[in-house]
Amino acid sequence: MQQAAIHDFLTHFFTASGCTLLPVPDSDVLKVKLNKEIDKLLMNRPFYWHYIEQTGGTPETATLVFRTDDKAEEGELIHFGSPRLHQIFDAALKLAPYIRLYQNLPPQSSSALEPWLAINAKISYKCDLKKDRICSIGLQLINGTLIDGFQDILDKLPLLPKMPDYCYTLSPLIRIGSGIKRIETFLESVLKSEPTGWADDAGKRWARDQELLDSFYEQQDPKPETYFQEKEAIREQYQPRILVQFINAGLFYLKSSTFLPGSIRDH
Amino acid sequence: MMEPIIHFDRSWQGEFSKRILEDGPWAKAGMFALAYQAEKERLIPSFHGLIAPGRLPHLSLHPHQIETARTVVEEMHGKAILADEVGLGKTIEAGLIIKEYMIRGLASKVLVLVPASLVLQWVSELNTKFSIPAVPQRKSYVWGRCDVVVSSIDTAKREPHRSLVLEQDYDLVIIDEAHKLKNHKTKNYQFIQLLKKKFCLLLTATPIQNRLNEIFYLVSLLKPGYLGDADSFAKTFKSGQRAVRNEERLKALVNQVMVRNRREDTGLHWPKRIIQSFDIPFSAEEQIFYQALSMLRNNGIIRGFSLLTLQREACSSREAAFLTLNKIYRSGSAPDCETIWQSIFEKLNAVKQNAKAEKALELIHQINDKVIIFTEYRATQLYLQWFFKQHGITSVPFSGGFRRGKKDWMRTLFQNHVQVLIATEAGGEGINLQFASHLINYDLPWNPMRIEQRIGRIHRLGQESDVHIYNFAIRGTVESHILNLLYNKIHLFEQVIGELDAILARIELRDVEKQVQQIFEESESEGEVRVKLDNLSSVINSEKALAGEEVHHAAGGHS
Repeated sequence: MQQAAIHDFLTHFFTASGCTLLPVPDSDVLKVKLNKEIDKLLMNRPFYWHYIEQTGGTPETATLVFRTDDKAEEGELIHFGSPRLHQIFDAALKLAPYIRLYQNLPPQSSSALEPWLAINAKISYKCDLKKDRICSIGLQLINGTLIDGFQDILDKLPLLPKMPDYCYTLSPLIRIGSGIKRIETFLESVLKSEPTGWADDAGKRWARDQELLDSFYEQQDPKPETYFQEKEAIREQYQPRILVQFINAGLFYLKSSTFLPGSIRDH
Repeated sequence: MMEPIIHFDRSWQGEFSKRILEDGPWAKAGMFALAYQAEKERLIPSFHGLIAPGRLPHLSLHPHQIETARTVVEEMHGKAILADEVGLGKTIEAGLIIKEYMIRGLASKVLVLVPASLVLQWVSELNTKFSIPAVPQRKSYVWGRCDVVVSSIDTAKREPHRSLVLEQDYDLVIIDEAHKLKNHKTKNYQFIQLLKKKFCLLLTATPIQNRLNEIFYLVSLLKPGYLGDADSFAKTFKSGQRAVRNEERLKALVNQVMVRNRREDTGLHWPKRIIQSFDIPFSAEEQIFYQALSMLRNNGIIRGFSLLTLQREACSSREAAFLTLNKIYRSGSAPDCETIWQSIFEKLNAVKQNAKAEKALELIHQINDKVIIFTEYRATQLYLQWFFKQHGITSVPFSGGFRRGKKDWMRTLFQNHVQVLIATEAGGEGINLQFASHLINYDLPWNPMRIEQRIGRIHRLGQESDVHIYNFAIRGTVESHILNLLYNKIHLFEQVIGELDAILARIELRDVEKQVQQIFEESESEGEVRVKLDNLSSVINSEKALAGEEVHHAAGGHS
């Protein structure tokens, strides 16, 4: 993540969370007056907030100054490795697990909005090594259309937390629970069809270490506790797993023509 | 074919349904996309390569350190012996590996076991250099509640900690000074064996050219069975007590689990050591005082050992000798010797100048740059501070007993404001002073390892100038014998850091200090002292020659 992208992210984060950006002379510096919610998430001072809430005092939220350029004079330097940035990433996740949004349509273009269920997830391939990919899947809750890369499309749409005037929503035919199931089934079939070279290699390493362990304890019967413990540790180390981790999920009401060229799969 | 287990996180579903039913609360519009972006930015795109260095822009890493971390993660699958020569940054390599595993989400629960004196230093390095939230073990709840814990083995293996530690599922266990675990019968070894650990790093600077059994047990801690069981290992690789059979094969095997970077292979510039010894004559008064000390033994007031101590102190400063003298005098063990005592204290009072201190002053003026002075005695340290002050030179003291904060403060003062640092102890509590390149050994410790540690403070990674070492010894005293042994006979000061420890370990002569002491105590004459010291040095030298040959054979190291 480049410094400019970090700067943008921070600006968006503090704006979206309702904090107040303060004027600064330098474009590499960001000064922000936190609101109560973000202060609680970032400043790690539960006793202060407990005290304020117990005594009914007026809270004084913190003002933070960040800089994304080494040469800027003021503020805490933020780069991709700084714990502060990751704390803010974590805060974003915490603040946005679930959402419901409506596509904003120009006035008078009265039209029906179709319900979509979207799930964003991180997929990790894990043995003694690890890599991830991200996936964002949308399911249309009337006809079961599935779309991969859903979030990228959402990012381009004007969305509102309230239904725009002159619009109405169509009722879903697929219930949320079975919608989630459909997305899982779809994902599972994708994951099962992927090449397993990485897992095969890990399996070989696992088998080799297990053989060594067996030979080490060959003479001992019954086997001591350390044998079983080590065996379990080797399994932990190499067992290939694919983890589908939740990022966030939402209900979106979108105009029906939105996805005409992009739909990849019909159920 | 290995079918991966697919696991879906479903913990969120109940809450999602609830919010739909209750119509919220919902996230703010922009935040949903930001959360997605945050996760996207943090993805690890490949099984291979290292992520950590890119996230540590302010840490200057050397190529061999990055390569070591990569080798451990990719080729050794997280179980390795790190056996770099001293000064190449094993701690940095270990930190980098912890960081890499944490970023990749392969390790969250990490245990670092180090000697007690190094706990705080590890904690501070992990925090400041790597932003790893390591905590020192202070209370027993820390084991369960904190993710990255640094502790000493001695604490961890004792109840009530032991059972708590053994309950934890560690993703990564790191053991510093792992050569201490060579004996599989010790409690420490068995304790480490019982730890639940997925990945494991053993750090040692004295790798395993010592005993074959030590290789076997160290590797077996990491990967049981890797070198066979004890019997098959003995059959395959041992011939007699120490000789190796099938050496090439053993070497190849060990190199699969051990990384050993050598200074000469790192391509780094290593500054030279320039050593100068000064044979300094006492002033007349000092000479008289020094000689008078023998009266105490001749009259049976003190024994040989105490005389030796007093003589060494007298070589340092009259202040150092006074403290001990006064203690013996006050203990009143020989009430009839008042005249002797009086004469000795008179001679002590007559001493007006300190020959070494004047030499030091002269050198400091000449050097005109940062100078570190090591002395064995607190009294000398204070005296020197005062003496230099009289001559317009400010200095800061440094002692092993200082708290970490005070140590750092003194180091900072020395780095930025004053010319001279006077230290009494280099110790394991390593402070790194590589911004200075001149070191005066004001008096010489008798344990060669302590000299190594002293020099190691400045002769290390990051030192950019040649290192100057000045050794002081008073002519015709115990000191000149020691200097002769350490410097002329075993060429200690030219030694590559780390080699000496290995050599002393081989001949089980770690306690050189004791040996030397015995020689002085038990010898009747100067001549006898010299002959015995000569013998000692030839034993060390012949072992050194042997080690030199073997170092390049057994346990050659990963390259």
